[in-house]
Amino acid sequence: MEIDSAARLFVATVDEIATRAPAISAAAARELHGIRLGLHFGDGTRAGLRSENSFLFASPENIETPDVEVFFDDRSLNLLYDLEHTPVSEVWERSLDVRGERPQVLAAWRTFRLLSQRASGLRAVQILWRDYRDRTHSTWSAPPADAMTFAANPLTPRDTGWSALDFLDHVQPDEIEAMPRLAAPTIVERARMLWDGHRSSAWTDATPISDSDLDATLTACKRAVADEMQRLIPDREPKAELYDLMRSYPMREGKGLRPMLTIATCGALGGRSIDAVRTAAAIELFHNGFLVHDDISDGSTHRRSKPTLHEAFGVGLAVNTGDGMNLLAIDAILSNLSKLGLARTLGLIHEIMHMCRETVEGQAIELGWIRDCIVPPHDEDYFVMSTKKTGWYTCISPCRLGAVCAGETSPELLDRFNEAFRLIGIAFQIQDDVLNLVGDESLYGKEQAGDLLEGKRTVMLIHAMREADPKLRARLTEILRLPRGEKSTSDTAEILTAMQRLGSIDYAIKLADDLAHQGVHRFEEDLRFLPENESKGALRQIANYVTTRRL
Amino acid sequence: MPAIPSGTVEQTGGAAPLLLGPRGPFPRAQLQGVLERRWLHYAFLGRHGDYGMVANIAWLGSPPHHAAARPRNTAILLLHRGGEWCATQYSAEYTSPAWSAFRQPHPFDEPRRLVIRAPAGVAVDLNLSRTSRPCTSQCAPFAEGHHLRWQSETGVVARGRWSFGGDTADDVEAIGYHERVRGYWGWPELGGWVFGFANSVESDAEGRPDTAVVFTLIQPERPAGATTGSVMLWRRGRMRRHFPRRNITVAVRGCMNRNRVTPVPWLASLLSVDPAGRVPQRLAIAARSGADRLLIDFHCSSAARVVVPSETSIQPFSVHEVIGPVSVSGNVGGQAIAFETRGIVEFAGGAHGD
Repeated sequence: MEIDSAARLFVATVDEIATRAPAISAAAARELHGIRLGLHFGDGTRAGLRSENSFLFASPENIETPDVEVFFDDRSLNLLYDLEHTPVSEVWERSLDVRGERPQVLAAWRTFRLLSQRASGLRAVQILWRDYRDRTHSTWSAPPADAMTFAANPLTPRDTGWSALDFLDHVQPDEIEAMPRLAAPTIVERARMLWDGHRSSAWTDATPISDSDLDATLTACKRAVADEMQRLIPDREPKAELYDLMRSYPMREGKGLRPMLTIATCGALGGRSIDAVRTAAAIELFHNGFLVHDDISDGSTHRRSKPTLHEAFGVGLAVNTGDGMNLLAIDAILSNLSKLGLARTLGLIHEIMHMCRETVEGQAIELGWIRDCIVPPHDEDYFVMSTKKTGWYTCISPCRLGAVCAGETSPELLDRFNEAFRLIGIAFQIQDDVLNLVGDESLYGKEQAGDLLEGKRTVMLIHAMREADPKLRARLTEILRLPRGEKSTSDTAEILTAMQRLGSIDYAIKLADDLAHQGVHRFEEDLRFLPENESKGALRQIANYVTTRRL
Repeated sequence: MPAIPSGTVEQTGGAAPLLLGPRGPFPRAQLQGVLERRWLHYAFLGRHGDYGMVANIAWLGSPPHHAAARPRNTAILLLHRGGEWCATQYSAEYTSPAWSAFRQPHPFDEPRRLVIRAPAGVAVDLNLSRTSRPCTSQCAPFAEGHHLRWQSETGVVARGRWSFGGDTADDVEAIGYHERVRGYWGWPELGGWVFGFANSVESDAEGRPDTAVVFTLIQPERPAGATTGSVMLWRRGRMRRHFPRRNITVAVRGCMNRNRVTPVPWLASLLSVDPAGRVPQRLAIAARSGADRLLIDFHCSSAARVVVPSETSIQPFSVHEVIGPVSVSGNVGGQAIAFETRGIVEFAGGAHGD
């Protein structure tokens, strides 16, 4: 979408915030709470903004009969994402007009406060607005002739004419870089005065940052960890039968959530992100080793849009490659010794052992259910299995390991990560399972309905079996008893139809949403001890990502 | 190579009672109590390449019940090259008496030797030459009876060998800064400081920089109004202008990538000391007095975090030695000033959190 108008700029900004800072987007959606905004801009274009659960929907079309109407002239629009001026002290009368019922006007105001002031520092948003200004050559409009200006804000620093603050903010501000770098700021901050000749503020008293650009941070972490994995894999024989297989498998990149959780947790506790990269790479190696073995157990044919390793090279080589990846992962953890010291390395080994134990136990529970053709009756059974099988190594352990990289080994403190990320992990897994049934295979990366073929015990299946009448339940059980190779497309379609008829998919989406919100709540409560910084902001975005994921 | 007695302490006077108080701002009197301190500080930047060196030799008074004990003495050396830092522990050895123009006045054209080294191999063996005159002593009083007094000499030229613990660079020529400090302070009371210098690249035949600046900002938490600071300007070896605290403003922007901050000494890293605050990415200092104007714009590119144990609090005090490009511009005494070079800035603080 070409950004050639204020309305399109606004829509693009809302979309950017939803992608890069789900926490801000979700908070704004909660404030809006179903209120529909009609937006009018100084260039004559219009847009609409509404919310649904944790989603914000902005469209470059007018909303008919909006609850609140908002008018921005060019000047007030520019102020929305202007770091250099404080909107409160700059907006003129009739430059911004908001009309509607009082509670709804206030809700709209709170929404804009979140979308503009909290998100204004996002580097990507700054770039978007800078490019728009450059392209449209729009300048601030002159104040209306009879405008009543607000009194000068007493907190605004005085204009001294030769001030260090003026210099950094106006004379030579920093260039805004678009390229994400590991642990580099994704938030642009205003300059701040340490000494103006009368008042003093310590350089350590920086304004806390509570958000981060999720997209840029994921990209930077994923790239750093992918490079580290390539360095960890030996460049020696046997290549064709082992190391090349290891080398190619991680290149089928996933979302990069685990690397980011590890690196961001290390940063949130004051550690250096580079100290966590090797550990994050070790987790990815474990993960890849587990996947190779898991695909064999499940009889999966595709992984990350490509044939699984055993499909392409045979079961023997695949098993051996999975073993090799696990071995390399242990080697990577041990090689932290010279850099992180003995205490942290021992802490990492302890956490890794726990993570592996949970994972194999979870895998055993699920394989047992499939072998014995059991569908557990309660969602809680699924929660336990899911947390063990994927929750620990996908969500909980990456955070704990990142904390250990930062030097934190206290069990009480490490346990503070467990509940929030257990809930988020389950929600994430349920959403993944839903996507396997109804998602776009090219985007999702796994074979569609593959879970039905392998008889995976998902929340949808558990719900369907629970809600089905005895006849349908018997039929579903009959299909589930069939080995993967003997299940036909019509068999899986029959299960899917039953799930849709019984509302199992909607039930799972709602359950995931509830769990995600509980997870976000626990994140804010249990991890209150973490100082507010950009790395914690990245963790916050991950937590909220699950609430705003589009299924 | 002269023998270097480990932890040698310069004689600081007899035990005679000080009936009239200490003589002068930097008395030869014995240090009294654990919070009374004396430092000799050195900071140099290579004229070519990106070498950087910071060293600090410190004497700290003895606890009251050990009044007869000698002051404790520590020395640490940090070397920078290619964005990487290496450092000694606090137990570096050095030639005694340590080089200083303050206690050992000597002519400009008479280089004298300073060796600082650690068993692990991080070391410098330098011939130091003076080219400039020091400023008058400055003092920051704060809290109840606490104070920090310092005196700076810029334009010090260092020629010699730098050993990085694995390899060595010979005939490195560097220019920098020397300072002596004496005072009585606790780290939580001191709060923090921003301290730095820059020498212009252009110099005369003796190596004297055409222009040099030294700036300070000391920010104690109490009493109100105790913050002090200054910007000092040297032209061709003589101090030309002093901008006092009311005439300067100091601002920062952004924060440094934490990956570019190396904790030293290594023991601090292994013991996982608490994180320090975010080091700013950019520092600007504007000074104005009458028609005189000066603007210093410093970009932080690489930092070493020196973890200093606090005697009176749990939180360690952290001194970030930061190297980066700096541009200085303005007009002083009717003469335009504009140069770009590299500088060293200290962002210090962090002991007040407990």
